[in-house]
Amino acid sequence: MERRQFLSMTLGAVALAAVPASVRAEDFRKSKPTVWKAKTVDDAIKAMYGSTALTMEGVKLKAPDVASNGGAIPVDFSTDKDVKTIAVFQDANPEAAVLVVEPNKYSVNKYSIKIKMAKSGTITIVAEGKDGKLYAAKKTLDVALGGCEG
Amino acid sequence: MAGIKVKAKLKNGVVNVKSMIKHAMMTYNMAEKKTGDRENANFITHVTATVNGETVLDMSTSQFLSKNPIFKFQFKGIGAKGDKVEMVAVDRKGKTYKGKGKIK
Repeated sequence: MERRQFLSMTLGAVALAAVPASVRAEDFRKSKPTVWKAKTVDDAIKAMYGSTALTMEGVKLKAPDVASNGGAIPVDFSTDKDVKTIAVFQDANPEAAVLVVEPNKYSVNKYSIKIKMAKSGTITIVAEGKDGKLYAAKKTLDVALGGCEG
Repeated sequence: MAGIKVKAKLKNGVVNVKSMIKHAMMTYNMAEKKTGDRENANFITHVTATVNGETVLDMSTSQFLSKNPIFKFQFKGIGAKGDKVEMVAVDRKGKTYKGKGKIK
């Protein structure tokens, strides 16, 4: 039920009125606060999408096999699917969620970011397709020097 | 001066944007170690980019982006050479960071 409301709100003007004028689309930190507190990747994906049934295709993820500096690990991800949201999770830090992108009609859906990881772990990218499937990609990497200062 | 550096380049109809936000991105654990209070954590929570008033990027972020986080993203169908890509980021304390760059 919560999910349905969330979807209709995104489409309606309600969401526009609820957030500051400078932020037009949805702020997932406000609409989905539990996602950002989830300790494990599975919990975070569940909180975000209501399911953990991932389809391991359609998403490309590039990250180094060994990161010498955990404070800035380059992560490239892209998808050619028609998606509503793309979320980045990892399991090395106290909480799992890193970011959620909401693509729009201009997006090419190709992104590069830098993230922090406290220790070796797995990065998971989940893209929610407009067909309802959760496309995903995972990459496990070694972190030589943790970046979160504990 | 807190701000965002934005570089944008038009190539084959696709605009490539590179941006960097100057921000310490302090996690909860770092805040606890340094100041003894987890609530002192401060990091970028939301980033948007617009061109000619149209949103081209919308991102909710957490504390696990690197210090001075870098974002690269692409968009197409909008923006010509000389147009400006404007970016706005908000951190956990509600402070706003702004920056813009011309599409080359």
